[in-house]
Amino acid sequence: MDKSGISSVNNSQYDLYLQEIEGIDDYWGPTFRAIFDNNQELEFEKKLNERIKHHDKDIERLCNVYYQGFIESVKELLEVRSQANKLNSQVVSLDKQVHDAAGGITKSSSDLLQARKVQNNIASVIAQLNLCLPVFIIYSKLQKQIADKRYYPALKTLEELEHLHLPHVANYRFSKQLQENIPKYREKIEGASMSDLKDFLENIRKFSPKIGEVAMRHTNEQIASDPTVVGRKKKRNAPQPPGHFSDEDRSAQELIDFSPIYRGLHIAHVLGRSSTFEAYYRTERTKQVRLVLQPPSNMHESEESYRIYIYAVLGFFILEDHVLNTGRGLITRTFLDEMWSMALSKVVTALQTNTAYCTDASLILRIKDLIMLFCTTLRNYGYSVKPLWELVRELRDHYTEVLMQRWVQVFRKILADEDFRPIEVNNQEELNEVLLSFPWEGDLPDDIRYPYVFPFSSMVPKIYREVKEFIYACIKFSEDLNLSQVEVDEMIRKSMNLLLTRTFNGCLTSTLRSPHVNLQEIIQIIIDTGYLEEANIYLDQFISNITGEETRSVTSSLTHGQSALFSVSREDAVRQICEKLKQKLDEFFELENYDWLLVEPNGHASVYISDIIAFLHATFQSFTNIPQEAAQMACKSACDHIAKSLLAMLVNEEIKQISMGALNQLNLDLLQCEQFAASEPVEGLQEGILLTYFEHLREILDLFISWDWPTYFHDYAQETNKYKKVTPEVAIVILEKLKEGDKKTMFTVLKKSERDKKKLLETVLKQLRQLAQIPAGK
Amino acid sequence: MAKTYDYLFKLLLIGDSGVGKTCILFRFSEDAFNTTFISTIGIDFKIRTIDLDGKKIKLQIWDTAGQERFRTITTAYYRGAMGIMLVYDITNEKSFENIKNWIRNIEENASADVEKMLLGNKCELEEKRQVSKERGEQLAIEYGIKFIETSAKASIRVEEAFFTLARDIKAKMEKKLEASNPPRGGHQIRASEPQKKPTSWLSRCTIL
Repeated sequence: MDKSGISSVNNSQYDLYLQEIEGIDDYWGPTFRAIFDNNQELEFEKKLNERIKHHDKDIERLCNVYYQGFIESVKELLEVRSQANKLNSQVVSLDKQVHDAAGGITKSSSDLLQARKVQNNIASVIAQLNLCLPVFIIYSKLQKQIADKRYYPALKTLEELEHLHLPHVANYRFSKQLQENIPKYREKIEGASMSDLKDFLENIRKFSPKIGEVAMRHTNEQIASDPTVVGRKKKRNAPQPPGHFSDEDRSAQELIDFSPIYRGLHIAHVLGRSSTFEAYYRTERTKQVRLVLQPPSNMHESEESYRIYIYAVLGFFILEDHVLNTGRGLITRTFLDEMWSMALSKVVTALQTNTAYCTDASLILRIKDLIMLFCTTLRNYGYSVKPLWELVRELRDHYTEVLMQRWVQVFRKILADEDFRPIEVNNQEELNEVLLSFPWEGDLPDDIRYPYVFPFSSMVPKIYREVKEFIYACIKFSEDLNLSQVEVDEMIRKSMNLLLTRTFNGCLTSTLRSPHVNLQEIIQIIIDTGYLEEANIYLDQFISNITGEETRSVTSSLTHGQSALFSVSREDAVRQICEKLKQKLDEFFELENYDWLLVEPNGHASVYISDIIAFLHATFQSFTNIPQEAAQMACKSACDHIAKSLLAMLVNEEIKQISMGALNQLNLDLLQCEQFAASEPVEGLQEGILLTYFEHLREILDLFISWDWPTYFHDYAQETNKYKKVTPEVAIVILEKLKEGDKKTMFTVLKKSERDKKKLLETVLKQLRQLAQIPAGK
Repeated sequence: MAKTYDYLFKLLLIGDSGVGKTCILFRFSEDAFNTTFISTIGIDFKIRTIDLDGKKIKLQIWDTAGQERFRTITTAYYRGAMGIMLVYDITNEKSFENIKNWIRNIEENASADVEKMLLGNKCELEEKRQVSKERGEQLAIEYGIKFIETSAKASIRVEEAFFTLARDIKAKMEKKLEASNPPRGGHQIRASEPQKKPTSWLSRCTIL
């Protein structure tokens, strides 16, 4: 309240009132009273209006000022809004950011929590696993061992697992399962070891021939390198050097892994099944040995089959020997010995049977070598081989047989190609050739004139050479046979004798029997055998040179044997000569042309008889080279045959009638024969011996021609009887014929003398019949 | 004993060694052939019965050794022979030439009326032939005897040769029989060879 200065004292009052109103909001009464009291009211009212005007002005100015500010504020507010928006977005983004950040943390923390949990779990699991792990390690070891077929360690491991480890983890299920599995494993191991054993058995079956072969080769090398063997004869009884065994063993082991057996044995031992294992092994091996001992069906056909068979057997027993030595009682000596002795007999039988078929000498030789080597090797392993030696001996006999068979062919060929003519040489060269091929003792003339003829045929040197070849072949078998000289010597001599006496003689006999062989050839054969016999002494020496044995032929019984060497053939040859002669004689007899009712003979012998005699003379004269003995035999047989043929004609039933004239003719013929017999047709015959063949006929003819019946009956059965060879039976037959022959003439002529004659004849016949009734010798 | 034949003819084969006498005989008697040469020692014979005009004829054929060393033995048989075959080898000139000597031998030793025949053997060896057929025929004509070329090996005309000779002998004999006495039967063949006397036989035996 500004009222002028006059008024200032009033104005200051008024200002005070204003201040009071202004200063006090509601307690204005006093103020107003005061105003009124002072009756200032109008001034005051003016002053108040002024104040109000001032205030209004002030408010206006203030409002003005504030409006400006308001505008500005609005402006600013607008600004703020945008900024607020901005801020808002900032906050929102920030919030988002924070939110985001917080979310990661939350996750991490939960993760962390989880991790912590896991960590805890892990720790506990590790602890448990530490307990279980050894079990599993052992278990896996077990598995590996089983897989590696190391069954024995596996078994040990199994035990460890069972007793050491499994109790610790007993509360686990797997433990229980393992526990349950343990017996199964045991079984499996046992089974596996058994199957291993089977594989092994199969394997050794496959390899044993190879082992046998190697062993045989070793033996062979050893024999070859052994200085004691290279010498004259080896000493098989000498103990083998100890190194030899290991050598063999190594080779066997090189080829065969024996560990399955040992392992199996260990396992069986651990499992307490040793006896089962043993029994199984033995049974299986016994079965196998049977298979091995079964020879291939065609073994006799080739050496290779023998080889395979022998290798297999040998291999089998080498292995068995090895098992015996190293197998800690898997097999016993007794078992092996039993098996061997069974096997040995079978081997021997098999070889025996098969070699019996063999006809090839060289194959037999090779088989022999094989068997010998087999024996030696077996002996080295301590097996007894005695029956095999026996077999070899048998084989030797068989070999000789086969050789003989072969030489039969050789001899046959020689004989078939032979012309049986004395060798004729035209020059010195050929002569020497013969002399070289055959040791001939005969003397050669000082000045040989060609062509020179040897007494023997080319068969002689050929046979001689072949016999030598045979001896060589025989000896081949004795090589390495470890026989004494005496044995070899004996064997060869025996074989040679057999060859000559049996084989060669047989060949000769069949040659002699051949229908085409003629007299001349037979005679040459006789001569040839003589020379071959003479050459025997050289063969004897030949053998002695080879065997180193003393020649024994000169003193021993062999000489006897040799002189009889070809006696069979020679007898046969002589018999053949006789046969041939008889055939010729029979041909002559075919030409016989007797007129049995001849009244009067013309005084000379029948033509055919003359021819026979001439022929015989010529024959014995021609065959100058026939040995005397043979000639004598032939001559005797010829005479015998003639006499018998004549007699046969006389008593021939077909001839019903005979005349005295015919008897006289026969007598003439007989005289011819007797003349021949007395003429010494061959040298060296005992005087009169040929005549004895005709005696029988002679007595008959004498009796009938002389009609000397009183003497016959008187001297009957006495030594001095002239007709002692005439039996009543023969006499009856001839007498009957004579009677028949007489009939025709007696028809017409019935003279008294004829009747007497007839009567006498009847009496004689009656007498003869009586004699015939009496048994001979009375 | 019943007679198995009507006539007995004794034939003789002569000729050089190796001309094939034995082979001819072998062919005729056994109808076979043997290539291996075995020279005959001394003397041998074969018998074959043939049928001629209804007669059974036994041929006793003597095979002689050609070799010189048996000459004494063989000539002894000439006399008894009723027919003689002279054999040569057509591949061997010498054997043909020697036929003359053989004929001389026959003339000296055999009976005068002996039937002869000339055989040229080995006619299958045409490529080795040395003696022509014509020469053989020529020679046969010269001596008035028959001639045949034969082959024992190929069996050519061997039968024919023997049959021809046998027929000739038979004809000659029958003619002679008719001449001497009227026909009475076949048993009289002995009459055709009555030359031999017992003494001569004995003496011959001692010579042999």
